[in-house]
Amino acid sequence: MHKYKYLRRTTSITCTLISILFQYSCAKKFNHSQNITIASSGKIESIDPARANTIKSNQLLYALGDTLYELNNEGELIPKLAKFKPKISKDKLKVFIKLKENILFHDGTPFDSSSMKFTIERFQNIGTLNYILNKKIKSIETPKKDLLIINLNNPSSSIEGLLTSINLTPISPNSYKDHFDKFLNNNFIGTGKYKLKRFTNEIQTLSPNTSYWNNKPKNNGINFIGYDNSSALYGAFISKQVDVLLSNSIEDTLRYKLNLLNQKNYIKESKSEPIEISFVSLRTNKKPLNNIQIRLAIAKSLNRQLIRNKVSYSLRTSASSLIPLILKKDNSVSWPDFDPKESKRIFREQGYCDGNIFNLPLTYRSNVATDKLIAFYWQQSVKAEMKDCFSISINGVESTTIYKNLSEGIYPSVILDWTGAYSDPEAYLLPLLSCNEFNKNYCLKGESVFSGSFWASEKVEKLFKESENLKGIERLNKLLAIEKIASQSLPYIPIWTSSQKAWSQNYISKPIFNGSGIINMGELIKNEN
Amino acid sequence: MKTNIKNVFNYTLIKISLIPLNLWIISSLIFILLRIAPGDPIDAILGSGADQEARELLRIRLGLDQSIQIQYIKYLKNLINFNLGDSLSTQEPVIQIIRDALPATIELGLFSILVAIFIGFPLGYMGLKNKNKKYDYISRIIGISSYAIPPFWGAMMMQLIFSVICRVLPIGGRFPIADNPQIITGFLILDSILENDLNAFQGALYHLALPSLTLGFLLSGIFSRSLRLNLEKSYKSAYIDAAICRGINEKNILLNYAFPNSLIPIFTITGFAIASLAGGSLLIEVTFSWPGLALKLQEAILQRDYNLVQGIVIITSIIIILINLFIDIMIAVFDPRIKY
Repeated sequence: MHKYKYLRRTTSITCTLISILFQYSCAKKFNHSQNITIASSGKIESIDPARANTIKSNQLLYALGDTLYELNNEGELIPKLAKFKPKISKDKLKVFIKLKENILFHDGTPFDSSSMKFTIERFQNIGTLNYILNKKIKSIETPKKDLLIINLNNPSSSIEGLLTSINLTPISPNSYKDHFDKFLNNNFIGTGKYKLKRFTNEIQTLSPNTSYWNNKPKNNGINFIGYDNSSALYGAFISKQVDVLLSNSIEDTLRYKLNLLNQKNYIKESKSEPIEISFVSLRTNKKPLNNIQIRLAIAKSLNRQLIRNKVSYSLRTSASSLIPLILKKDNSVSWPDFDPKESKRIFREQGYCDGNIFNLPLTYRSNVATDKLIAFYWQQSVKAEMKDCFSISINGVESTTIYKNLSEGIYPSVILDWTGAYSDPEAYLLPLLSCNEFNKNYCLKGESVFSGSFWASEKVEKLFKESENLKGIERLNKLLAIEKIASQSLPYIPIWTSSQKAWSQNYISKPIFNGSGIINMGELIKNEN
Repeated sequence: MKTNIKNVFNYTLIKISLIPLNLWIISSLIFILLRIAPGDPIDAILGSGADQEARELLRIRLGLDQSIQIQYIKYLKNLINFNLGDSLSTQEPVIQIIRDALPATIELGLFSILVAIFIGFPLGYMGLKNKNKKYDYISRIIGISSYAIPPFWGAMMMQLIFSVICRVLPIGGRFPIADNPQIITGFLILDSILENDLNAFQGALYHLALPSLTLGFLLSGIFSRSLRLNLEKSYKSAYIDAAICRGINEKNILLNYAFPNSLIPIFTITGFAIASLAGGSLLIEVTFSWPGLALKLQEAILQRDYNLVQGIVIITSIIIILINLFIDIMIAVFDPRIKY
């Protein structure tokens, strides 16, 4: 009996500790804050608008600041800190923006044209994504406190879209005077409906701005927390440690589970318009993919429906276009549909099949789970339908390595995705299709080199230039004409478009997305009952 | 005895004088390896959408346009001046980033070692006392399981059981979302004690529980196995037989004779375990979103943040070298058989 004494003692101590822990946990709820807790994946390294380049940091900046304009769900430009829509001079080289008055920054200083000038110039100076602006803006004038004039180098029809960019969220010159040429990563002084109360890379706390110029937040504040993996996010949400789950990078199996919970009314789900496009980039400057017929045969072998059903559980939208629908309002341009018979016919016509199988080396980003599954299902679908003509060998490479090697022309085909830096069709076409220096149809220097396609078209460059001088539907038609050329030349094959998604507990109001895929946190209400 | 202390002192001096050489080799290796590795910090920062001009401008701004030799000389000059440079992606001083992240790793590491000892030692002892009986088998199974379980899987199971199903412990993070703990040293448990803040203490302990239990359990096998083996070896020694013959009771034999002698090899193992935790708790830190140094290192590698990776590797190396030196000295002090 004596030898079990030690064991009994240990067991009783352990049981006591566990019972204390349980008692403690009952007393102290996980989420006892009056604030609404929103979880998303990853960390925020910086809250500086000049550095923000992730959806998460954009989401936070949207709550803390206001942009001059924003896009609504119909894709229309809505003035926020601007009074009216921008006016463009006759020569299209000046943009006049009338600003709202009596708006204060969180530090109490007034918002005016000089603070907007400070913000834009600072972004041009140090902004990580400043390339989206630098070629366009020549100078900025501030003739009146409520009038901002932007002088352009060339007519730019995308300037309106650029003015919705979170990167241009106005900041207080008073608070950023020592940070004109360096980032202020852990603080933000803007005009938004929330003030930043606490910032760590993992947790950010926002409190309502009581002197906000517009509708004040409907909640007591927001806790924004980041977890580093999908299962932690899912677990935190299911166990009600967080009120809202906001993530585009959560794994598709977990998305599906959340979708089922939503269908059973256990939680609420909302989604933005699809603004992220996944596609295959084909290296068009080398054999055999320099042959447009081969590219067509490959495009016709992609079973988007199968991939959508198997990989995303039908939760993503198959795409046969490079521009998200919200930005073009119709579906007039379309890439070739899945047609294995036709694909085989083309391969045969090109001298393949019957013992001579065309093999496509397909690279995917090994750190993006869905890319691997897309590659796998495409490979298997081709194996099942056209194994005597076409095969795909897949190879996973970490994303940073892929980005580095794209412009070296190392990958014959690679799966990538893209979200425009601003809400405009041009933000999807320019980075994929434009080329500064080309030889026939091959790009030597330019954006299409960095997207791995090396594709160029003189006609496309001409259309890009023409679109700069147009507005509205005429401009959109020009951009659609560019997309149509791309759909016939096939340097890229669109796979699907993805929406931002948010899930909330039933005691929280349903999150609402704007046209840029960002939720308005101020509208979230916690119903304690 | 005096001669041995002098020898230990000389040995320590030699070891300390070799630290700069060790660090030079490590820092040079990491510098070269990072540059050889595929990928580019410019691509990690700008993504694939930026144009050539923007890339070149950023490259110049970050000093990456200079030749490797010039970058290496600058890097060594900075190191000599104890300057680890600025992070390429955040532009914050590397030393500041490490200072923020290191306490989290040390805190997790220390508590995990404590948990490992609390689990491992009783298991090892019970196994030995009940050799080839039920408790021995249980002890062995637990010991082997702790080796065999993949850390990420073990961590996810712990999250599932304690956080999602039982809902008794938080799923991740270092302190409650709603709280704003005062940071003095960066060690939240210590800071809450210094601040006399019971809520912060509870919150920090509450968040530390699951990751440290998981990591502690995974490490416990090493402790239970080594204690069992060394204790068994001690019990077979002549001095134990002599002690039994002198009529000393079982408890005193264990505490005063067998246990201290079996602790010396375990002390070495503990040193290795602590050293490996400095950078090896990555999977636990990722799974529990624990903002430690290993997680920072992983992020820095993904972003190809050369300066930050170099800084973390150098600081981790210094910690490992110092721990090893400390263990060497302690063993020499406590074990008179060890001669230098």
